[in-house]
Amino acid sequence: MNTFESWLLLIIIMIPLIGAAVFIFMPKDREEMIQWSATILGLITMVLSIYCFAAYNHNDGGFQFANSWIWLDLPSNPIIGQQAIQLNLGIDGISAPMIMLTGIVMFTGVLASRSISDRPKEFFVLFFLLISGVFGVFASLDLFFLFFFYELSVLPMYLLIGIWGSSTDFKTFIRTKEYGAMKLMLYLVAGSVLIWISILAIFAESGLGTFLIPALSEIDFNTTFQLIIFPLVALGFGILAGLWPFHTWSPDGHVAAPTAVSMVHAGVLMKLGAYGIIRVGMFLLPEGAEQWAPVLLGLGTVNVIYGALSALGQRDLKYVIGYSSVSHMGYVLMGIATLNVIGLSGAVLQMFSHGIMTALFFVVVGVIYERTHTRDIGVLEGIAKKMGWVAVLFVIAGLTSLGLPGLSGFVAELLVFIGLFQTYPILGMLGIIGAGITAIYILRLVAKVFFGKLNEDIWNNMVDSKFSKQADSNYWERVSSVVLAITILVVGLFPFPFIKVIDTGVTEILAAMAGSL
Amino acid sequence: MESNNTLGLHAAWIIPSISAVAFLIIVVSMRIAGYFYSDRTKLALLAPIVSITAILAGFILFWLVLLDVLNFGGGSISMNWLVVGLTEIRWGIFVDKVSVAMLGLVTFISLLVQVYSIGYMKGDKHFEWYFAIHALFAAAMLTLILADNLLFLYFAWELVGLGSYLLIGFWWEKRSAAEAAKKAFITTRIGDVCLLIGIILLFKATGTFNISTIFHIAESGGISDAILNSSILLIFIGAMGKSAQFPFHVWLPDAMEGPTPVSALIHAATMVAAGVYLVARMMPIFELAPEIMLIVMIIGLITFIFAGSMALVMSDIKRVLAYSTISHLGLMMLCLGTGGVAAAIFHLIVHGIAKALLFLGAGSVMHSIDNETNIWKMGGLRHRMPITAITFFIGAASLAGLPPLAGFFSKDELLLSILHDGQYVVLAITLLGVFLSALYMARVAIVPFLGSTPKHLEQSHESSSIMWVPLVILAILSAGIGFLILPLSSTYPGWAEFIDPSHHFELEPWLMILSIILALAALIFGWSVYLRKSVSAKQIIEFAPSFYKTILNKYYIDDLYQWIIDKCVLAFGNLVALFDRVVINDKAVDGSAISVYMSALKTRVLQTGYLFTYGAAMMLGACGLAILWWILLD
Amino acid sequence: MIELTHFQVLSGLLFAIGLYGVLARRNAILVLMSIELMLNAVNINLIGYSIFMNASESHRALGHVLIIFVITIAAAELALAIAIILRLYRNKSSINTDDINIMRW
Repeated sequence: MNTFESWLLLIIIMIPLIGAAVFIFMPKDREEMIQWSATILGLITMVLSIYCFAAYNHNDGGFQFANSWIWLDLPSNPIIGQQAIQLNLGIDGISAPMIMLTGIVMFTGVLASRSISDRPKEFFVLFFLLISGVFGVFASLDLFFLFFFYELSVLPMYLLIGIWGSSTDFKTFIRTKEYGAMKLMLYLVAGSVLIWISILAIFAESGLGTFLIPALSEIDFNTTFQLIIFPLVALGFGILAGLWPFHTWSPDGHVAAPTAVSMVHAGVLMKLGAYGIIRVGMFLLPEGAEQWAPVLLGLGTVNVIYGALSALGQRDLKYVIGYSSVSHMGYVLMGIATLNVIGLSGAVLQMFSHGIMTALFFVVVGVIYERTHTRDIGVLEGIAKKMGWVAVLFVIAGLTSLGLPGLSGFVAELLVFIGLFQTYPILGMLGIIGAGITAIYILRLVAKVFFGKLNEDIWNNMVDSKFSKQADSNYWERVSSVVLAITILVVGLFPFPFIKVIDTGVTEILAAMAGSL
Repeated sequence: MESNNTLGLHAAWIIPSISAVAFLIIVVSMRIAGYFYSDRTKLALLAPIVSITAILAGFILFWLVLLDVLNFGGGSISMNWLVVGLTEIRWGIFVDKVSVAMLGLVTFISLLVQVYSIGYMKGDKHFEWYFAIHALFAAAMLTLILADNLLFLYFAWELVGLGSYLLIGFWWEKRSAAEAAKKAFITTRIGDVCLLIGIILLFKATGTFNISTIFHIAESGGISDAILNSSILLIFIGAMGKSAQFPFHVWLPDAMEGPTPVSALIHAATMVAAGVYLVARMMPIFELAPEIMLIVMIIGLITFIFAGSMALVMSDIKRVLAYSTISHLGLMMLCLGTGGVAAAIFHLIVHGIAKALLFLGAGSVMHSIDNETNIWKMGGLRHRMPITAITFFIGAASLAGLPPLAGFFSKDELLLSILHDGQYVVLAITLLGVFLSALYMARVAIVPFLGSTPKHLEQSHESSSIMWVPLVILAILSAGIGFLILPLSSTYPGWAEFIDPSHHFELEPWLMILSIILALAALIFGWSVYLRKSVSAKQIIEFAPSFYKTILNKYYIDDLYQWIIDKCVLAFGNLVALFDRVVINDKAVDGSAISVYMSALKTRVLQTGYLFTYGAAMMLGACGLAILWWILLD
Repeated sequence: MIELTHFQVLSGLLFAIGLYGVLARRNAILVLMSIELMLNAVNINLIGYSIFMNASESHRALGHVLIIFVITIAAAELALAIAIILRLYRNKSSINTDDINIMRW
């Protein structure tokens, strides 16, 4: 491997981090400059992350682009001694698509935030910090740094939602941005407490004196230990993945968050949870995963059905999408809990697919909200007339969401279903029925909000005067959403290259599981 | 890519691909052209030219495929789409006589409908988009016909649903069109959910999606009865959804909100026939499950009679035709339930052509009289638009089963198939249905076209040639294609044997005569009620007014579904949403936060603010720890 | 001859005086001085142990190292604390700790 490739992951993590540092020193009033440099950095990062995925050699498998930098060693370390904590980067077939996902969502998120006029400098500083943390989690092979980056990605969320978010006064209740931010923060910190406990427990129990994941995966932890620690890991990461009944932070967070943050939040952050369950839970604690899989599967099923039904009962666009995220993450959890190649590959592909899809949803909903200052399904009607691009792209995202063939959601969900039917046909059927309910709420929403006759009077009252001439998405938002839509189509029509890569990672994890049983 | 090296097979996979490419070209060029020309009408003809060229190429290639099938008997080619672990999922096409017949029907009707649409849709705001969806639909429908595995079929199955959704909702600014599109998609989606479950169940039992492999495994008893029965039933439910069989029929009449050529293509000739085609295609395993075959037959029979009765009372011309479509689809299902694949497919083709003709004719009428659809507001149109009238009569007579039009032959073949299966009761009810279908055809042909012309229709005129030429072509075919059923030459042994060599061409004179008598009786009855008015329609209604009202309200089934959706599904959704907010969020999540807050209120008095208190507490704590340590050490 | 006991007694006395000062005094400067006394009591204790402990030279040196740490940190802490007290005086015109109760419930 050449030098460039061995430094690639570090570069990908550092670009947003350094970008954030540079933004701090940029003059506040040069908004144009800040936005342009953010766009360019985003583009570079996206290209690098796509390169990273494309260059991943699926024939060799394993951890590629690996490199490590020692950070701290413990003097009293019994065996390895020199490498207790190291920044050890590397990606396998599961993290490669996640890196690419993060890159794409980051770039499109930056484009969608070009309209931010309130303190753009601080916004991009925090946003880039957040992204850097997400990249770090997916690339770290060291539990300590995995946790470090995880925290790095959680903390900026609080400020991003609290400052740039929006408070909404619903008829029967109120959700302020402070409430959303605080709730999200408390939940995620509670999750990270559980994760930190289990990471330290794994560290102590292994006796290796290292946090390195590949080294730890060689160890057969005793069954009782695994049975106790796995639920902690699954719950800690599961909170982030929207595991029922710890999901309420997610829709409320979406409602409060600004567009780009919603995109990253639902598109990437929730995937961190599922990724953590696979990487830490299944890879290190296979026996625990095996024993607890039915519980995870049951909760995943509840997620799917419950999320879909809740979405059916919502009146706010962002709530609908928030609950649909809960529902779709259920498929990921179900796929993970099947513990077979097909289901798990499906789960990973669903993580990717849902990330892109939900980012697309939030871009277009963000546009609608910015123009009309409402997300109320009861008020909006026939807006496709004024917002053609928005309508088309929303329909694409919606069709992906209900699993239309040719779009990425279908392939992912299909694999999850096939995986489920191998062992749990009844739950598989429930999953498919969940996809049916999804069709109901998505199509109801599309028919109500976008189709029908536009009432010009209501529209003129509603629309922001800045946009009364052209309400449709602007150039940047179009680029952003079209990039996402194209990704959806590519994955939907040609899933094989993606599955090939994912498969190598999944096979290794399952082999590790089989080996330890 | 593997193949057994015949030109026709390669031609076959190219057919849908061309249309798919045409879709892409139209969509992309529409956008790009939009940036250069603010006035899009200059480029308006670009889209139909692309899509019609594509479908014309498809129609030409169809002859190549046909020749190939006649000479070599078809075959299949496939390529890998997805490999997960050790499981391969392939994309492939399969060509045999049934699929090639469908290929001909779809390419031909698509071609004519698209040509017709140039005239019909002229001046529409989204003219290009209309043809783009047509190309997309053609690609999906052709794929559906050719797919050699169930997953690929499902893939195309959903995409034709998308095409239908987009075309029904084409005039989305009309609330009713938006609602109809939604209703169509969701209703068929219920069937699709079942279909997917069925497909995955079969996959679980056999490890493959390939249709012929599944047949082999099933025939050698490799699938347990329970799995086989349930998966076949689920597949049939999927077919019911698409083919608008009772109780999933509600979406099809509403789908008439779309442009009329769309109704002709998608909701009469091709997509709705996909369910029938699916069952015909899967017949080898349906035959392994006689109970399911019985269900197929019963559902078909119910649909046939039930939709026929509704067609008799509707006053909207498109809705009459829609219910008649449902009814005929029911007839095909009924025939499939008796194992008559050849007859069902033949009727599918005949009905497809005739119904496309009728819809296009209705469209031609609507086009010239300001989109009026109520037949009671029409009359005497035969003087104003003679070509439309004559072609419409031919189509109606064909579907009513008058000899020597095509419908007569296909209906006869269907009845024969039922008779051979020994279902005498079913046969009797079917004959009643035949009478019904002839009667409503008489009604829908007589009321608008014969009689005297109302004042407001004085200005109506014949449509342009781009619209009536397709009508004439369809009328000629509709009249003549029935002879395919006969053994025309030494190489062509008649349709039944052509499709299934174990069948032979037969005639059952008494049945034939009976069906002619029934059709004629219906026509005369219709004549006397609707034209001569020698029998008063009012008197017949007063015979059983509540029954009439029930039929007029579509047996209240639409209302029932609306009630279920509103009062059950949505209410349940609202309940869950409320539960989530009130119980999970407010009680459990915020509740625990509040309890922390409350206990903080209680304990905060400990923070006195005096340095002394803190220091003393610290000191005491340190002493306490020391003592504890000391005790523990002992 | 000075024994370990002497160190301990001295350090104990200093610590007790410091503690008394912290708890009983109201003047912030005096409280601060008392804290210093306590820290130095600990230092003396550490020195005593590091001299009289039965261990190798290098391990005993650790005691000295620790003391230097404590002194450094104490100095830094003092600077900070004085600064805080100065600010308090500016704001409240008093350095009586009982007056400084803005953190009270």
